[in-house]
Amino acid sequence: MTRMPPRTNVAPGRVAASRGVAFSASPVLKVKMPAWRSRLVLFVLFTAFVALAGRALWLQGMSTDFLQKQGESRYARTLELPATRGKIIDRNGQVLASSVPVKAIWAIPDDVQEAPKAKLVELAKLLDMSGAELRKKLDSDRSFVYLKRQVEQDTADQIVKLGIAGIETRKEYKRFYPEGEVTAHVVGFTNVEDAGQDGMELGSQKTLAGMTGSRRVIKDRLGRIVEDIEAVREPHDGRDLTLSIDSKIQYIAFTQLKEAVEKNKAKAGGIIVIDTHTGEVLALANIPTYNPNDRSVLSGEQLRNRVLTDTFEPGSTLKPFTIALSLDTHRVTPSTVFQTAPGKMTIGTATIGDAEPHGALTVAQIIQKSSNIGTAKVALQMPAQEMWEMFTKVGLGQQPKFGFPGAVAGRVRPYKSWRPIEQATMSYGQGISLSLIQLAHAYLIFARNGDLIPLSFQKVTEPPVGQRVIAENTALEMRRMLETVVAPGGTAPQAQVPGYRVGGKTGTAYKIVGGKYVKKYVADFVGIVPMSDPRLIIAVMIDEPSNGQHYGGTVAGPVFANVAANVLRALNVAPDSTVTNIIIPKDAIEESL
Amino acid sequence: MIGRLSILVTALLVLCGLSLVNAQYQARSQFIELERAQSAARQLDIDWAQLQLDQSTLGKSSRIEELARGDLNMVALTPQRTQYLTVGEK
Repeated sequence: MTRMPPRTNVAPGRVAASRGVAFSASPVLKVKMPAWRSRLVLFVLFTAFVALAGRALWLQGMSTDFLQKQGESRYARTLELPATRGKIIDRNGQVLASSVPVKAIWAIPDDVQEAPKAKLVELAKLLDMSGAELRKKLDSDRSFVYLKRQVEQDTADQIVKLGIAGIETRKEYKRFYPEGEVTAHVVGFTNVEDAGQDGMELGSQKTLAGMTGSRRVIKDRLGRIVEDIEAVREPHDGRDLTLSIDSKIQYIAFTQLKEAVEKNKAKAGGIIVIDTHTGEVLALANIPTYNPNDRSVLSGEQLRNRVLTDTFEPGSTLKPFTIALSLDTHRVTPSTVFQTAPGKMTIGTATIGDAEPHGALTVAQIIQKSSNIGTAKVALQMPAQEMWEMFTKVGLGQQPKFGFPGAVAGRVRPYKSWRPIEQATMSYGQGISLSLIQLAHAYLIFARNGDLIPLSFQKVTEPPVGQRVIAENTALEMRRMLETVVAPGGTAPQAQVPGYRVGGKTGTAYKIVGGKYVKKYVADFVGIVPMSDPRLIIAVMIDEPSNGQHYGGTVAGPVFANVAANVLRALNVAPDSTVTNIIIPKDAIEESL
Repeated sequence: MIGRLSILVTALLVLCGLSLVNAQYQARSQFIELERAQSAARQLDIDWAQLQLDQSTLGKSSRIEELARGDLNMVALTPQRTQYLTVGEK
């Protein structure tokens, strides 16, 4: 082994090192540089460090929020957790309104313009619109256009499959009403934003709507959720609403009312069925009605919930309250006799009359024959204040608290301004206005042995406590009188129900148009069944019957009878009468107007 | 002595690290599983609502009446044609 020969062309420094010259003896150090050069280098290095520190401070301190946000936006997502609107179900669990998820199809017009023609044609077909319509929608300066809302899931999936750039979907809900027009006025409807617009949908909007929640998550490359970053704000689904409505009874009431309105060529009609034990509204229907699933053509007439929002002069259906008050204060007994002949009576300057003169009538007969003069004579024995108190106690002229939007109070003028003639006419239901639901509600005092309970549109689990208005005995006496109304010799033999004892009161009143009575009528009937142990109150109102008949007994009475017969059977109520063969006398007594 | 101890600690550290990776992996896959189950539950809820709706639509009174009268030729019951029996009656 020989040592490597020394290289001659290497730098002197390396040579020195390889020769083992000490660093301090390096000849490079001997070169004297000007002192400012090293200071300059030092200074440059220092400023560089300061710049770095400053930048770090800037990033860490000043713009940290911005940067963190930027970072987060690359992996974190906030997801909206939608809450489903509660269902509306009837008392037996039948669904009356339910929300189903659907899609809204929206577009970014500029992006869609570039899509191939064939695909747009297909899109138009799926959206169920013409090509021209679609083009018109897309021809817009805006960056967001709804093409169609509430598109069913299957169709939306097909649209997504087309893969047109700029077409997006958004989740939303569509409300379905399986019973359609039958329950329309009770249930109401929602708009495209799933907010209640009418009926119980509006009345219970707060509990039905629910609260949307949200959660912040980390998503991975494949879009799967990896982790929750923050605590999840849970969505709260809207609570289901159980109505007091029984869809079977509702259907019976609706079909019978519809038939009667058509048969009498009436303008409108309303019916309500109340459970006397709980105050629940078992059925409420109006004609004309609408289909809540298809509201493209809607008129105010169709939307009107006449039972609750229309006031009318009830006519004779109010007489039982005058008589009951008189019985309750022991001014008369059912057998007290009043002279109603000659069928006309003058109070002050005005004259009132009966449809036909009846002669001397007992109080019971006054109800049976519906004598205006008899009722007026009974009423004039009493101070106006007592009558007013009676009307007020049963809810007339009072704002109802049913939890139903749009219910009206009706009108009972303050007693201090009553003149005798007004007191007389009010005793038989003229000069006073109320809604059908108020009338039916007031009849609870007769059906419930004298006390009054509030009405409810929601299922009642505990029977409410009643407030006594008249004595039990008075209620029993009144019920006996009401039963004679439907018997031969009364004003409404057409309201008899085979197999059951029923009672009720007819009413016929002129309508008021522009503050004047006109020759148009409202026929109504309020009935209680079965008489031995009242279970239901059924009130019927037919507006402007114009097919020859216009009396409460002949127009509204049969509706009551048909509904009562079918409903009692549907409810399995045992018959309390052996009379099953009903013969309606041809010469029923005409009502006084 | 110190050398061996540090090898042991290093080994432990590596093991801990690996188990952390494993745990994280497990947690994520479980979480994805949970997500999947939750969305399946939501879908089932929707299906349930849809089925209830279908039941109501198919079982609504007007359809039943139509079928009973039209297809089955049924007529409504009247008290005249009903024999009422009372429990305990001789």
